[in-house]
Amino acid sequence: MLPLLLVIFFCIFGVLTGIATGLLPGLHVNNIALILLSLSGTIISSFSFLYDYGISKEFILLLICVYIISTSISHTFHDVIPSTFLGAPDEDMALSVLPAHSLLLEGKGYEAVAISAMGSYGAILFCFLLIFPIRFIIGSPLFFYEVLKDIMLFVLIAISILMIGTEKGKIDDFLKEGKIPAIIGMLFATFVFFLSGLFGIIIFEIPVDSPIGLSSPVLFPALAGLFGTPTLITSLMTKPVIPKQIIKNPILDKKFKKSSSMSIITGSLGGILVSIIPGITSATGTVIAMNARGESSKKQTIITLSAVNTACAFFVVVVMFIILKSRSGATLAAMELISVTEWINILMPSNLSYLLIALLLGGTLSYFLTLKVGKIFAKKFANVPYALIVKSTISLVVILVFLFTGILGILILVVATFIGLLPVEWGVRRSHCMGILLIPIIIYFL
Amino acid sequence: MKLKYFSLFISIIGILILYLIAKLSQIPLIELNEMSEYEGKQVILEGLVDEYQFSKQGNQIIKIKDDNDTAIIFIDGETEIEHGDIIQAIGEVQKYGSDWELIVSNINYIKILKKWQNNSIPLWQLAENPLKYLNLNVNVTGHIESISNAYFYIVDLEKNHSLIVFYRLSKNITIHPGQKVNVLGKFSFDKDKFRYQIELCEEQHDVLYTTQE
Repeated sequence: MLPLLLVIFFCIFGVLTGIATGLLPGLHVNNIALILLSLSGTIISSFSFLYDYGISKEFILLLICVYIISTSISHTFHDVIPSTFLGAPDEDMALSVLPAHSLLLEGKGYEAVAISAMGSYGAILFCFLLIFPIRFIIGSPLFFYEVLKDIMLFVLIAISILMIGTEKGKIDDFLKEGKIPAIIGMLFATFVFFLSGLFGIIIFEIPVDSPIGLSSPVLFPALAGLFGTPTLITSLMTKPVIPKQIIKNPILDKKFKKSSSMSIITGSLGGILVSIIPGITSATGTVIAMNARGESSKKQTIITLSAVNTACAFFVVVVMFIILKSRSGATLAAMELISVTEWINILMPSNLSYLLIALLLGGTLSYFLTLKVGKIFAKKFANVPYALIVKSTISLVVILVFLFTGILGILILVVATFIGLLPVEWGVRRSHCMGILLIPIIIYFL
Repeated sequence: MKLKYFSLFISIIGILILYLIAKLSQIPLIELNEMSEYEGKQVILEGLVDEYQFSKQGNQIIKIKDDNDTAIIFIDGETEIEHGDIIQAIGEVQKYGSDWELIVSNINYIKILKKWQNNSIPLWQLAENPLKYLNLNVNVTGHIESISNAYFYIVDLEKNHSLIVFYRLSKNITIHPGQKVNVLGKFSFDKDKFRYQIELCEEQHDVLYTTQE
């Protein structure tokens, strides 16, 4: 009984941490996972009193994983709140940024949060149903992953082409006639993709070092710079006029329910794909899912996007036990902490079943908490010292980058931030910055 | 300047600066006999694992060798290398007594470039430079000839070279004359008989069949 209670306790604690990381824009759950990994020795010794109750060191390590996994799931629910309320763009930019922002400008910020939570929770339930089918498809007897591994190079190239080819951003700084702005937009997307790739190749050659002896992942300042700080900086620079928010639950008529189910299914499948293929993130999964989905109304886009994010955070854990590969910072930490035994038989490994409890319980709690926190934000966000929060978050990211990767890490963060600002400022999709991982991986497979 | 042009400019300049830093901070890969020229500096060494031992303090001392020279690597930690593996080590060159040592601060700076099992060596290569592989685990390809209870011979296709293989394995192996095989065992010198040999005596030693040419 005690082990189960401890799992629940660590899960709740993880969900609460996920609210913090989700609400602080730019602070990614992967960073928390890395910090926890460095501190795991200290955590084990602080919980050593549990040895007297028959809890082993291995189980304490599993509890740290439960905490990290619950944080990551909770994060995928709550990160919609700052991107809706804090990262709000001005009207000129509204078309090129996330649909949640434009709902905010219509006074429907809470509705955006509520349907996002619905998409995320729907993904949790759909993924739960798919655990066994996916296990048999990518593992034995069908061994889809083995097939995929053989054609991985072509899959990655195809995904890269799809990402660039579906770019809809138009750049009319030079010529405004006909299709030229769209073509320049696509060329600029290609430029960002290759520039990020070059950046990725170079940074892996730079020997970053933590001034306080922590592990030094060079990707931390790079990803924080490409995807975190540009959002924070642009949200500081934009001063949107936000109308009073109407707090009401979304109307779920039959047509909306049917359409939402489709979004959850395609979004979840996109998320599952992301959890299997290396070098792509939820952003790429969203592009794939949106192309498969066809329809692109604002609300359905939000649902699909949330489903991709949560399904990915859910399935990276399951996939870790099937192909023994980590596809996220959270699972990378998990693989370092616990023994991940391959799921060969029908019965799943015991460590996976504990982590599944964390995913399901964490997901359910996160759903209700997202609605609650979203409501508070919608009512009170005008009083939130938003510039101060954003500035504090930037400072926190800079401090963490320095502690983990030293002065060279700071330089990488600065360059990454300017590369990350390119798509935001020129109006193309930010997912092209994933060239940082995709190009080095493609070169590896060549 | 607008932020969109400024960020474009800084991105490109920034990447150029990072490229220069990467180039300047690249740790040089040196030959084993060049260590004395790099005292106190970070270098990369590569070589075959010749010997290794563990200390009570949890350190590991590895002797690696290339065609002509050897080097000692001192690691703060323990790795899972085996005799005959080709490894790469990154560390600082220091003098210990009269010897040069590479001090490696973290086991992550030791990379196994090739496991000995995956480094298939043809018989002629072994014959050309036997000292390089002496007392190491090797994976030698050849054809089986004249089998007896405790040993067999492997020869190359032209029958220019032959090598005796002693097997004292707990597992059963089935071999037939003429078969092309990979022999995974320890390459040693028999002083009494004055000849080189391969011994199959450890758990990881084996005879694997390969497809006929």
